[in-house]
Amino acid sequence: MTRRGIVTGGMIVTGLALMVLAYFAGAAPWCNTAVECSNPRLEWSPAIFVVGVIVAFSSALYYSMSKSDKK
Amino acid sequence: MTRYAMAVDLNRCQGCRACVEACKIENNTPNAVFWMHVFRLEEGEFPNTKMTFLPRPCQHCNNAPCVKVCPVGARYKREDGLVLTDFDRCIGCRYCEVACPYGVNFFNWRNPEEAWGEYQIPFDDPDLASVTGGAVPPYKNPDHDLRHGPEQRLTSGSAHFKGVIEKCTFCVHRVEQGMLPACVDTCPVQALRFGDVEDEDSPISRFLRDKESFQLLEELGTDPSVVYVGGNPPSSHAREIERPLTGV
Amino acid sequence: MTVAHSRVNEPLPQGVGRLSRRWFLVVGLATAGTAIGVVGWLVEHEQGMVATGMRDVGTMGGATWGLYISMVVYFVGVSFAGITVAALIRLFNLEHLKGVARMAELLTVVALLLGALAIVIDLGQPLRGLVNLFRYARPQSPFFGTFSLVVSGYLFSSLVYLYLTSRPDAARLAAKPSKLRPLYRVWAAGYEDTPDQRARDRRVTFWLALAILPLLIVAHSSLGFVFGLQVGRPGWFGTLQAPAFVVLAGVSGIGHLIVLAALVRRVLHEEHRIGMEAFTWLGRFLMLLLFVYLYFVVVEIFTAIYQPTVNEQRIGDALLTGEYAPVFWGSVAALALPAVGLAWMAVTRRWRIGWMVAFGALVNLGAIGKRFLIVAPSQTHGQLLPYPVGTYTPSLVEYAVVLGLFSLGALLIAGFMKLFPIVEMEEATP
Repeated sequence: MTRRGIVTGGMIVTGLALMVLAYFAGAAPWCNTAVECSNPRLEWSPAIFVVGVIVAFSSALYYSMSKSDKK
Repeated sequence: MTRYAMAVDLNRCQGCRACVEACKIENNTPNAVFWMHVFRLEEGEFPNTKMTFLPRPCQHCNNAPCVKVCPVGARYKREDGLVLTDFDRCIGCRYCEVACPYGVNFFNWRNPEEAWGEYQIPFDDPDLASVTGGAVPPYKNPDHDLRHGPEQRLTSGSAHFKGVIEKCTFCVHRVEQGMLPACVDTCPVQALRFGDVEDEDSPISRFLRDKESFQLLEELGTDPSVVYVGGNPPSSHAREIERPLTGV
Repeated sequence: MTVAHSRVNEPLPQGVGRLSRRWFLVVGLATAGTAIGVVGWLVEHEQGMVATGMRDVGTMGGATWGLYISMVVYFVGVSFAGITVAALIRLFNLEHLKGVARMAELLTVVALLLGALAIVIDLGQPLRGLVNLFRYARPQSPFFGTFSLVVSGYLFSSLVYLYLTSRPDAARLAAKPSKLRPLYRVWAAGYEDTPDQRARDRRVTFWLALAILPLLIVAHSSLGFVFGLQVGRPGWFGTLQAPAFVVLAGVSGIGHLIVLAALVRRVLHEEHRIGMEAFTWLGRFLMLLLFVYLYFVVVEIFTAIYQPTVNEQRIGDALLTGEYAPVFWGSVAALALPAVGLAWMAVTRRWRIGWMVAFGALVNLGAIGKRFLIVAPSQTHGQLLPYPVGTYTPSLVEYAVVLGLFSLGALLIAGFMKLFPIVEMEEATP
């Protein structure tokens, strides 16, 4: 695996991890019968979700824009 | 665990609208906003018409669609059964209003300073002022500046900000002090009852025991906290023959 | 090649950097339109949303979602086409469509920006909305998908796609002296036209296209779910909303793209890069989507008239013969006539760009009408409790804001066209 491949893959995985964590563990739970259902478990989790999306797609920017391997 | 509910006795309601008035005064709701509403319904064709009254507060559903769709959790359900709106958090998207099958939500279309419109009554008339002591409606209820409940959110009263949603709160500011909602307290014929249905000995539990009852739009699965006895659900051919003032 | 040493600025292709009189006229009109929209929004912000024609449902007899929400759904729908076309070009190597790829991506980005703006405009507390959505948004609300995937994910990924596919052209332009050379140098960000770079770009755009397509389906479906999951709204509640949203999105987007492509082709004299094959392909795609959507309309009408519930009958009557009938039949005609026209052109194999532009514009009018008919009638005529029937007419403020949105879109596209070539440049012959 080239360094570029590792970093790109890492960014995608990180982005997806942020999305999954923010959605399932951070944001408000799927219920409508108690006060806690109206609050996120971690405030700003939706922002973290969006950051995760941005990081995942930024991997494409990195992959394309990183310097060519000198042969 | 307390769980509040309201029981409406359709045999007793005679359409005086004292509950509607009491709600308006207690909660300072502005022009054309009626958190409590009483339908005057007519069914059938003359001369075989039937007329009924149907009080319709917010149903404080146990499976509330408005709570589900609120994008920011401003509309929420408390463990004691009340469905309330956090006026600090509401972003005014009005999704709860379109999701509600009962049409109980009101949006603050105007700035609060302009929401009560002009009155025909000349309040600066000296004779009238001597009676009212200079106080000009709407009488501001200071409880509405407080935050309520263990969650400490701004949830009672009306027209706090423009661009937010509001609705019947079961008078949370009164209930927390052990009082009844204004509509229940005011009804001259005790058509409205309110209390803790988890407590088997509460007046409302004893009232509802062994009585046939229905809920509005039961088939939607919203599981309202408002229970109706002594009548039938409105048929789909019922027509409303009295309307409140609707100009905002 | 000693061009880099020349001090004489060369003219840039496709009219980039050259502000013509015609361009000033378009930009002038678009700026005026945008200004009108801004004024309208300021009035609404000052007075409160009473400045619109919206009112509460139920006792107040109005509709609380109106033209603004219709435009949100419409603009997000238009954004569908851009990135879909770009992705299909990449995934299936459709050479003859390359000329429209960049303008399709630009259309997506601009439409999403306008859709996001329309959401913010419709909020009673817009500033709070921007903060509280990022802070508190709940996944249980269908709006979560709209906000996080559509506005954030879809927009960003489309921007990435647009940027990466534009770098080669930026590098080509940066190689020549021109007044915009510093911009292109930054834009190209060190792009070197090597086989390795080109291989990487091919790989990246392929996988990006593959990742964006499911995002797109989820995004448009979540918008459909905003309406389709509401059990208390006859006319909204149903399984067809999400698929119908996706298909009508395609219709409005491809229609828009056809109009834009024809405009660019005429104005920039790009007949060789935007050829008839491109229009034929777009025309066939649009025709297919229209037939699918008209099939949905037939299914909807039939279901609404065969054995409707009392509430659905009330809405159905209002749409087919009542208050909303002019908008309904007008929209159906605006979708059906182009479908027939395109089918005629497909069968006789005589594709006329002029007619296609007319059809593209017409289907967009039909799409706006249909979006409006999804939003309003279920509120005014679809109350489950016996409230009387309501009414909704957009106010001048709402029309002004909508004009401002379209004008802003035109402004953004016109501005882009003077900074960067909107049609992918052919590779320079050495």
